[in-house]
Formats: sequence, structure tokens, C-alpha cells
Amino acid sequence: MPANPRPASPGQHKNSSQLDRELQSGKIFRLLVERIQDYAIFLLDTDGCVASWNPGAERMKGYRRDEIIGKHFSVFYTEPDLAIRKPWHELEVAAETGRYEDEGWRLRKDGTRFWANVIITAVRDENGTLLGFGKITRDLSERREAEQRYRLLIEGVTDYAIFSLDPHGVVTSWNTGAQRIKGYSAEEIVGRHFSSFYTPEDAETGLPRHVLKTAAETGHYAGEGWRVRKDGTRFWSSVVVTALRNEGGELIGFSKITRDMSDRKKLLDTIQQHADELELRVAEREQTNAELEAFSYSVSHDLRSPLRAIEGFADMLATDFGEQLPEQAKIYLEQIATATRRMNRLVQDLLEYSRLSRIELTPSAADIATVIENARQQVDEAMREHIHVTAPAGLQAHVHEPTLTQVIYNLIANGLKFHAAGKQPRVEVMAERLAGKIRIKVCDEGIGIAPEHHDRIFQVFERLHSTSKYPGTGIGLAIVKRGIQRMGGNISLQSGPGKGSIFTLELPAA
Amino acid sequence: MILAVQMKVERVIALVVEDDDSDFQLLQAAFGRTPGDLQLHRTDDGESAVAYLSGESQFSDRSRYPLPHLVLLDIKLPRRSGLEVLQWVRKQPGLCRIPVIMLTSSRHSIDVNRAYDYGASAYISKPETMKELTELMGALKHVWTRWVEFPTLEKRA
Repeated sequence: MPANPRPASPGQHKNSSQLDRELQSGKIFRLLVERIQDYAIFLLDTDGCVASWNPGAERMKGYRRDEIIGKHFSVFYTEPDLAIRKPWHELEVAAETGRYEDEGWRLRKDGTRFWANVIITAVRDENGTLLGFGKITRDLSERREAEQRYRLLIEGVTDYAIFSLDPHGVVTSWNTGAQRIKGYSAEEIVGRHFSSFYTPEDAETGLPRHVLKTAAETGHYAGEGWRVRKDGTRFWSSVVVTALRNEGGELIGFSKITRDMSDRKKLLDTIQQHADELELRVAEREQTNAELEAFSYSVSHDLRSPLRAIEGFADMLATDFGEQLPEQAKIYLEQIATATRRMNRLVQDLLEYSRLSRIELTPSAADIATVIENARQQVDEAMREHIHVTAPAGLQAHVHEPTLTQVIYNLIANGLKFHAAGKQPRVEVMAERLAGKIRIKVCDEGIGIAPEHHDRIFQVFERLHSTSKYPGTGIGLAIVKRGIQRMGGNISLQSGPGKGSIFTLELPAA
Repeated sequence: MILAVQMKVERVIALVVEDDDSDFQLLQAAFGRTPGDLQLHRTDDGESAVAYLSGESQFSDRSRYPLPHLVLLDIKLPRRSGLEVLQWVRKQPGLCRIPVIMLTSSRHSIDVNRAYDYGASAYISKPETMKELTELMGALKHVWTRWVEFPTLEKRA
């Protein structure tokens, strides 16, 4: 059907100007309308021709008063609206019901569109005769644009499912993210209850109802849990539900933001799995430690008892029958005795080493001068004069005292043992405090150690010399290193062949 | 009121509970090397120690198996451990006062503490050499035969 934008007839024009005069006679009302800038307020005659025009209308639509008075109001409508004869339909409705309200596109004089809220009211005289229509138009373009932007923004979000529910939990809107995460299109899900997203178990225990109840009561619900996609698969989601209330405080629905946390959940599960595994390993290790403990216990008991027999009977042979034995036999007996002593020390040192690796070393404040003195006391009295100690009183280290005593004793014994042939042994022990640390140096003037052996000497059973030249188990320095490490300290060595050795310990100060 | 004064024992009898034949032989030798008189009896597991002390079955003849004044008790024993024997002894009305010395190769602090908890009179770890063992046995013999006052055991009284 063709549009009809032109004024209908001159007679109708006259009718309009008469109405205009009527209104102008009501001065106050006129002034009020005249001042309104934000609303287009004007009158139409019974046919829909413009009968009055206010500044708001001029501003909004671009027509001056003299341009528009008498013209049919259909000039404000777009082609599609004209095609369905919308302007005439609106007047019919307004005439019938007294009022018509609409939102939609309208045209300015320059042909540009704006989004308008339109209210058309029928104007009748006391007898009920239709005089015309009042029309109030508001330009909502900005609000619509903002809403549109906002809607697009939400719709475009793909990482979050953002949708709304009515107060009963029925889905009322749906975004791209919701479609992507949950698998439903808007057409499929809008109008359905949101409990479809829950697992049967959760649905059964009433979780969906609880979520809405909590959100309604506190304004907010947040949680994580399994949800179900359209295809029945589950995903781990993080959910925030917010109650939506109008100005009057009435609950009008809920917004729901759901995030697919499956990847994070997987990661967390993996971490948890690793933690569990680690715990298991620790338990296994504890078990192993307990077995080791039992093992070393039986070593100490069972290995020693045949040793005692060998040593004891060799001793008895020598003591009770020494007279009758040839010299060579006595030498052999002496060798048996030496071997058993060495074996005894080996067992002892090994036990000590395994104990040091195994047991909990609980550190406490220890006086360094006392520790060094205790270590010195363990040295054979005849050798003590070769030990020179410089340790200021009051030096305190945070250590396991028995272990440190053993470590220092081992280092002193080491220094005394490896003295150069034909030279008096001399061991110096010095202690000092150095920036939160206690440094202890054990220096000897012995045969020294070539740099390529510096790492080896701290390992179990590593020896640089034959036992006949320098007796020992080959465990002493391994005990030293393990003990220092277990106490959170470190040890270093400066030494070279013929230059003596300096072992430097650094331990946490107390 | 006349107070009975406990006399020094004529000849101290010690029961050695030791499963290791060599250890017992060495112990005997060490005792033999030292002066003084101390009679040694031996059982070689925990169960027979209990039988000996209760005077059961083959140990009922107290002239052959006299009730000892002192027990030297190893810990690691077949059938019944030394610690179990010790606990049993301390529960027997007729035996509970008897001095029990643990003589063992264990230096485990758990064993040491448990032994004293259960009422051991002393805890001695076996010396490593014959020389030390002789020294120890000499000292034990000296103290226990010369200086120690023994309690009255109900059964003996």
C-alpha cells in the first residue's frame, strides 16, 4: 500500500489552527510545554495533521513550526512503518482505547532515524467528541544504543555463559558463551527451567532451588560444581548468581554467570594427584626408613656378635696359649685382632652414617666453644696437645649438638692422622661469627689433598691412602658432609698436596 | 625390736640368659680371669629363663638349679625377648625384687629406656673386646660379691 505523507485537505488545516489557538489561550500550560526541550509535545487533529509544535519537537525532529503545522504526522515514520500503515493504526487504537504507546524508529526532517518512545493520547471534549490527539515523543536513541551495546557486549562474550532467569528460574536470555559452554541455542533453552543444567544428583538434593533461594535472600550466590551440557557431558563450573530487583525492591529475576573451569579443575586435580602421589612416596619412604632402622639395628646386633667371638677367642688364644705358640702364630693373632677392631669401627661408622641420613636432627642453640671442647675431649689424651682452639665465648649456632660434636671430632681426627712423615701433627680449630652464620675452620699442616680428589673424599668408603699407611674406615668425612648438610650448613675444602688442608664449615647462627 | 640384718651372701649365684654360645664362653672366660667367686648358671632363651626362675619342670631341683641372686639378661633372645622376661620377673611376687642387669649388644635408646621402664637394675652394652669384657666382669664380680646387699625373695624366705 502506498504511503500518504501529504496533508489531507485545507479544511483540516483550519481545524488544526483553531485547536492551536485553544491551547495558546491556556497561558501557563502553554508556557510549560513551550519550555520543554527534552520531549516533543504536539497536537494532531482528528486526521493526524500536526496542529501544534513545541521547541522540544523542533529540536528532536528538525522541523520548524511553520514547516510542519498542517502536515500529516506520518512524515515522521519510516518506509516499512508506512507500508503497514502504522501511523493510521496508531490513531485508531488511541481513539478506541484513549492511549497508544510504542517504541520504534522515527525520522527527522533530514531523513536520519532516531529511536523514539511515543505516547499518543486521544483528546475529547466534555461531550466525548474526539477533538484530536496529544502526542509526546521522547528520543531514546542514546539509551537504546547503550542498551544495544551492552546487549551485544554480553551476547558476544564467549568465555562466560551469561544469561538471565525469571524469579522462578526459567531462562529468559542467553548469550554466545552460554551456547558455547552449555551447548543449547537460545531458541532451545529460553523458556526452560535452569535446573536442566544440574546433575541429576544435585537436582535431586534441591541444589537449583537452594541457589535461587540463597541469591534471593542474600543478593548473591557463588559456587563451583559439576554442571551438565546439552549432550549430557559434565563440566566443572564456577557460578555466580545475582538477584535482580527493580527500584521498588521487587525480585524480577536473576542473572547467572557461569564459567567453564574444567581446565582449571583438571589442573587442580592433577596437582592434587601429584600431592597424593608425593604423600604416598613419603609414606613409602617412611616405611623404607623404618625398615632401614630395623636393618641397622640388626646389623648392630648380629654383625657385632660374631666379631666379638673372633676377637675374644683370638685374645684367649694369645692370653691362654701364647707361651706355646710360635712367634709367627702370635703375629697372625695380632692381625686377627687388628682386623676385628677395624671391622668394629666400620660397622659403627656405617651405622652412624645411616643414622645421620635417617633420623630427624632437631636443632637448638649450641655454644660453639663447648662443642669444640667436647670434640677435643674425645681425642686420645696424648694427642690433645696438638690441637689449638680459637673460639670466642658466646658464639652460638643453631645446630644438632651431638652431630656437630661428631663432625668436629672427625675433622680433628682427620687432621691429626694425615700429618706429614717426620713432622708433628698440628690441628687448628677457629670459630667466628660472620653475617648470620657461624664459620668454623679446621686446619692442619698435613699431607694435603690434590684438588681432583676434593669431591671424592666426602663419599663413603673413599680412601686416598692404604689402610696400612693411614688407618681408618673411609667413612669419617662422609659423616662430616652428611651431618653438615642435614643441619642446613655447608662445607668447603682448600687444600693441595703438601700444603695442608683447611675445612671450612658454615652453619646458621643462633 | 630386733632388726634382722641381711648377711652378705656366701657365694653369689648369677643366672646368665644368653643364646650365643660364643658370648657365654667368652663371658665365662672373662669371669675366670678375674679374682673372686661367682657361680654362673645359664639358660639360652627367654622361655627357659622363665622356667628356671619359676623352678618348673627340669629346673625344679633347686640344688642343681638354685634360685640366683642376680640375673644377667640379653635382650635379643629366641622365643621370649629379654624385655618380656624382665616384665614377667617384675610381676612375680616371689621374684620381683631380684636384681636384673641387661647385658646386650643393643645400644638402641628405645631398648635402654624400655629396660629401665620395666625395672632393669642396670643396662650394660656388651664390650667389643675381650680386654674390655674382662675389665667389666672383674668390676661386676667385685661389686656384686663384695658390696651389694641383696633383697629377701619371698620364695627363699
